[in-house]
Amino acid sequence: MTAAAESTLNSETFLPRDGLQKLISHLSGDGFTVIGPKVDQGAIVYDEIENADELPRGWTDRQEPGRYRLERREDDAYFGFVVGPHSWKRFLFPPRATVATADRTENGWEMATPDEPAPRYAFLGVRACEIAAMKIQDRIFTGGSYVDPVYQRRRESAFIIAVNCTTAAATCFCVSMNTGPRCGSGFDLALTEIAEGFVIEVGSDAGSELLARLPVTPATDEQLSHADDERQQAVNQIQRTLNTDGIRDLLLNNLEHPQWSDVAKRCLSCTNCTMVCPTCFCSTVTEVSDLTGDHVERQRQWDSCFNIDFSYMNGGIVRDDVRSRYRQWLTHKLASWHDQFDSSGCVGCGRCITWCPTGIDLTAEVAAIRNAPRAKASVATETVTPQEGSA
Amino acid sequence: MTHSARDVKATLATAQFLHKLSAEDLEKVAAIASTKSLEAGAVLYQEGEACRMLHVVSSGLVALDMCMPRQGCTRILTVGPGELLGWSALLSDGTMTVRATAVEETTLIALPAHKLRQLCDDDHDIGYAIMQQVAVSLSRRLLATRLQTLDMFGETQPVAAPVSPDNS
Amino acid sequence: MRGTPPVTACQPANPWLAYTARIHAVRDETPGVATYDLMFDDPALADGFTFRPGQFNMLYLPGVGEVAISISGDPHDFSSVPHTIREAGNVTHALARMREGETIGVRGPFGSSWPVDECRGKDVLLVAGGIGLAPLRPAIYELLARRDQFGTLTLLYGARSPDGLLYTDEYGAWRSAGIDVQTTVDRAHTGWTGNVGVVTLLLDRLPLPRTNDTLLLTCGPEVMMWYTIQAAQRRGLPRESVYVSLERNMNCAIGLCGHCQFGPEFLCKDGPVFRYDRVASILKVDDL
Repeated sequence: MTAAAESTLNSETFLPRDGLQKLISHLSGDGFTVIGPKVDQGAIVYDEIENADELPRGWTDRQEPGRYRLERREDDAYFGFVVGPHSWKRFLFPPRATVATADRTENGWEMATPDEPAPRYAFLGVRACEIAAMKIQDRIFTGGSYVDPVYQRRRESAFIIAVNCTTAAATCFCVSMNTGPRCGSGFDLALTEIAEGFVIEVGSDAGSELLARLPVTPATDEQLSHADDERQQAVNQIQRTLNTDGIRDLLLNNLEHPQWSDVAKRCLSCTNCTMVCPTCFCSTVTEVSDLTGDHVERQRQWDSCFNIDFSYMNGGIVRDDVRSRYRQWLTHKLASWHDQFDSSGCVGCGRCITWCPTGIDLTAEVAAIRNAPRAKASVATETVTPQEGSA
Repeated sequence: MTHSARDVKATLATAQFLHKLSAEDLEKVAAIASTKSLEAGAVLYQEGEACRMLHVVSSGLVALDMCMPRQGCTRILTVGPGELLGWSALLSDGTMTVRATAVEETTLIALPAHKLRQLCDDDHDIGYAIMQQVAVSLSRRLLATRLQTLDMFGETQPVAAPVSPDNS
Repeated sequence: MRGTPPVTACQPANPWLAYTARIHAVRDETPGVATYDLMFDDPALADGFTFRPGQFNMLYLPGVGEVAISISGDPHDFSSVPHTIREAGNVTHALARMREGETIGVRGPFGSSWPVDECRGKDVLLVAGGIGLAPLRPAIYELLARRDQFGTLTLLYGARSPDGLLYTDEYGAWRSAGIDVQTTVDRAHTGWTGNVGVVTLLLDRLPLPRTNDTLLLTCGPEVMMWYTIQAAQRRGLPRESVYVSLERNMNCAIGLCGHCQFGPEFLCKDGPVFRYDRVASILKVDDL
């Protein structure tokens, strides 16, 4: 890191409101596909944008278990909302991607992997919880023995413009998961929106280089103070909590807890939670042939542990009821993930709570188990006698 | 072919259903025991036959078959050295529930059921030890039978198998 | 090529790429089961494809799909890579219709392996059921190849019926090489002169003179493994001396798709072979 960049990193700058368009234009000019929030079908989703006018200026979201509505704000803030049904995983880990191909030749099948250059994305409006989710998916897709080139290429070239939250939804619990609301690292630039514009922090050389081309001025004490107030607002508005003390053992020691049967009565196994979750990574590779049958693509598509045949094995389905599938999802997300990836799988974004059609709240499910723990012999003790009862 | 009393005692000492008995009590059982030899293919008793003897396999292998009208006979179990045959002689009226055939050259110890029952009645310590072990042997065989019933190597498909074209 | 670093058909940086292989020979084993000897097109792989006993390959039929199959051959025989396969679903049905010379794709080897080195100086008990003998056969070859490093070797093998017993033509050679092979079937016709009954009955009859220095390696239907382990534990084998090979839905084989999870374990990378104490508690949980 150059000395110049380092000095920029230590000081915050201010960009006036109308400078946002310049930011977007420079990124487009640099060859990035800019993805940002937009209103679509009554929600704020992530899509390609070219113009700052496409952003959800003046909109906010009201979220509760099983409920999401957009409402007009009293002001004209560009980023006065939190997170919607989309997460950035749909760009880094696309819902459908070709991972390999096979072509029939005279000598038999020829196998290959796609070589096209990956799209270069600039993500505008990334929240702290979403940065945390990206770091979690980095560990999965690039941090193990096998690296997924599809994810890696998109991730490597992605430019991240983070936004510090200035509001929180009723379903947010990032503070409990230690993932927000403030962006600490993992961004190229981080914006905090105040009335007149944006206070900007630099997070990388690339960010500093872009900043140098924008009409920024050193942030004044007053602007810094407003930024602090705005960020504090988000902190103050967080209502929901998840007690994560010993949560891994709590869940894995209660695999036969009656709460699993209880939630199974409410869960539709619809897979919404896994679709909106920014860390869920389950997928299935399927064969897609062209009409001749001579060119085959291996396409990886999002799947979900809630799908009934996700655990199908010759002979039958291992997780044949909603109870076992819900238990799989929650114990994986909050417990087994620690064993597998040395962190929680949950970033506290609250999407699963908002988008569950029956309003299941995983913080409440965990609390129910914690309040009445009935650790059975499932993990604790080992007995030698066979499982069945008297002969 | 005859066997010495020592062979009889040696075999009885390996019999699971007698292994809680003291050496002294084992002598009492040995006193009522006789030996029997079977050539490969020889039938010890038929299914449904009355047999008043308990047998312990000393060497060789005995196969148990059960037959169904029009469907033929199935070999359901083989019994090896140290294991018990014909427990219904001791526990019920002695009507054999299987046909027992020696699969290879086999020697057996034979115990008259009424004499063994008398021994148990006269000395309840012996009786308790024997019955306890018979129960253990039977529970093991019951578990084995249940596992056979599960047909765990069978390739039956579930009733509502989902259509999963890419699963194998 | 032998003696150079192990050659595998999977690149860590590009793990979706399959390598082409030909079906060199097909041998019918038992009804519905056949062994496919594969030979890689790539010369480096043909000469040096290396695997450890217990590992599996993903076999790929373009247009149909991929299936996880244990490698069932001798790790020191580089002439071909055998896979014993039971016809059970779309991919294996399509494979059964293929002939010698046809191309398939292979990725692998994947997964954990049987602890052959840890068996040194110990008695080894292998208990297999049905197709479960296939992933154990490479371990048998490995044990027999360095026979003098191990104590008593015993194989107890159960199948549904006599015609379901795999590799019967090899038992003679195995016995000569120093492993006691005992078989049993769940049911038989009355002409069968072998054992009838579950494999745990054979285990009950075995003298196990040094249970603290005996390792149990078992592979077969989960219920068979479970009761085998109970019987072994009753005889005094500690949990750390037992190894099992488990099976779950396998899709990517590289730990990225989530299908093969069993509790916190990914069967494609943490398994399929596990030391029993690691999975004992989760094996007991229904529908996990």
